[in-house]
Amino acid sequence: MSIVFLILSVLPIIAGILIKVLFVPAADGIDITGAHVFFTIDLPLGGLPITEAQVNSWLVILSIMFFCLFLTHGLKTKNISNKQVIVEFLVEKVDGLIKANMGEYFMGFAPFIAAILSLSALSSLMSLFGLFPPTSDINIVGGWAILVFILITYYKMKCGPLIYAKSFGDPVPFLAPLNIISEVATPISMAFRHYGNVLSGSIISMLIAVALANLSNLVFGWIPGFVGDIPFFRMGIPAVLSIYFDLFSGCLQAFIFAMLTMLYVAGGFPQDEYMRRKAARKAAREKASAESVAADAAEA
Amino acid sequence: MNNLDIISVNIWQIALSLINLVILFLILKKLLFKPVKKIIAEREKEIMAEYDKASATNAEAEELKASWEEKMSGAQARADEIIQDAVDKADRRNEVMLYETREKAEAIIKKAKADADRDLRDAQESIRQEIISVSTALSEKIIGREINMDDHRDLIDSFIDNMGDE
Repeated sequence: MSIVFLILSVLPIIAGILIKVLFVPAADGIDITGAHVFFTIDLPLGGLPITEAQVNSWLVILSIMFFCLFLTHGLKTKNISNKQVIVEFLVEKVDGLIKANMGEYFMGFAPFIAAILSLSALSSLMSLFGLFPPTSDINIVGGWAILVFILITYYKMKCGPLIYAKSFGDPVPFLAPLNIISEVATPISMAFRHYGNVLSGSIISMLIAVALANLSNLVFGWIPGFVGDIPFFRMGIPAVLSIYFDLFSGCLQAFIFAMLTMLYVAGGFPQDEYMRRKAARKAAREKASAESVAADAAEA
Repeated sequence: MNNLDIISVNIWQIALSLINLVILFLILKKLLFKPVKKIIAEREKEIMAEYDKASATNAEAEELKASWEEKMSGAQARADEIIQDAVDKADRRNEVMLYETREKAEAIIKKAKADADRDLRDAQESIRQEIISVSTALSEKIIGREINMDDHRDLIDSFIDNMGDE
């Protein structure tokens, strides 16, 4: 049964390759564009184009979902399998990351950080299969960054909007505009950092591939017949670059995005103040209930 | 145009990817974290239960051991007591028996002595009768006349008594 889930988790990638082969026209030469648009749903504000990036990110989500089902299938309390060791290691690792970077209060963030990590990393790694990496679309990463921004603001507002508004006048009130700019800059910088790294990686890869092909043509072009057409320089060298741009950069950007999320959310949350208020509220409530009990006793 | 521009911001796409992330968050929460956390908590609970059971068993064993030790020492004391009792009883019975035996023996000896005395007396009596009759007969023969038994009895008796004393 679990092998079915494993196969199902691989299927979305194969489906992505099939979709790419069937529906996306091959680009010739240097053609740096965004994602291929399959069709557009008519909506106000420009309509919703269903692009390769969207489809690929759904495929990634499907793949992760089936992989989760595969991992958590047949969990036991005794005589655990290697698979279970791995999945428990993963979960505890993410929990440890949250605990170290955000503190006990934010333990509920563990699945969210795991979602960011896995979605970002696997989206970037889509390029290994020759698919369009969704992370090189600003809209995808922008959506995540906006969600993170909402979370940051939500936690900053936990002590009430007044404290949140006051935090902009820190340390001196006339710096408020700068503070507002830096606040808004957070999601933008997060989105552009991630998007830019992945996109620049694929652009550089493509440029180098084309350059190597031309260089190969220059060096070996005089050889008659089909041998002269073989781009020898394109063998091997782009693979090494791919290790950096696709594997390393993709995983690193995912980690950075997750790390920044944790730091911003935990850092923006005035935890001491919130705890103090919570304790005060609790004390007030207890006092009120004690008073009501005393009043009831007096009535009786 | 079939492709997007390299930088093209579209509010719906942003919203869609935001929702995608939320969906993945929910998927991971329900399908990965919840079952794994559950299984870990279950295992912890099981281990704690095992520990509790082990310590309870241990305590029980200690208790049993203590009670057995107590019982053992009690049994030892009791055995000593029983042996002592038995020895005492045997001693007492022994004494009683000895006493009874001695009494019986004394009674037997007394009886034997009495019998012997009686026999002696009987013998003396019979001998005296014999002697009386013999001496009477002899005296009759010698004197030639009949002796009055009653006249001479005192004489004869004193004679015989003197003879018996010698």
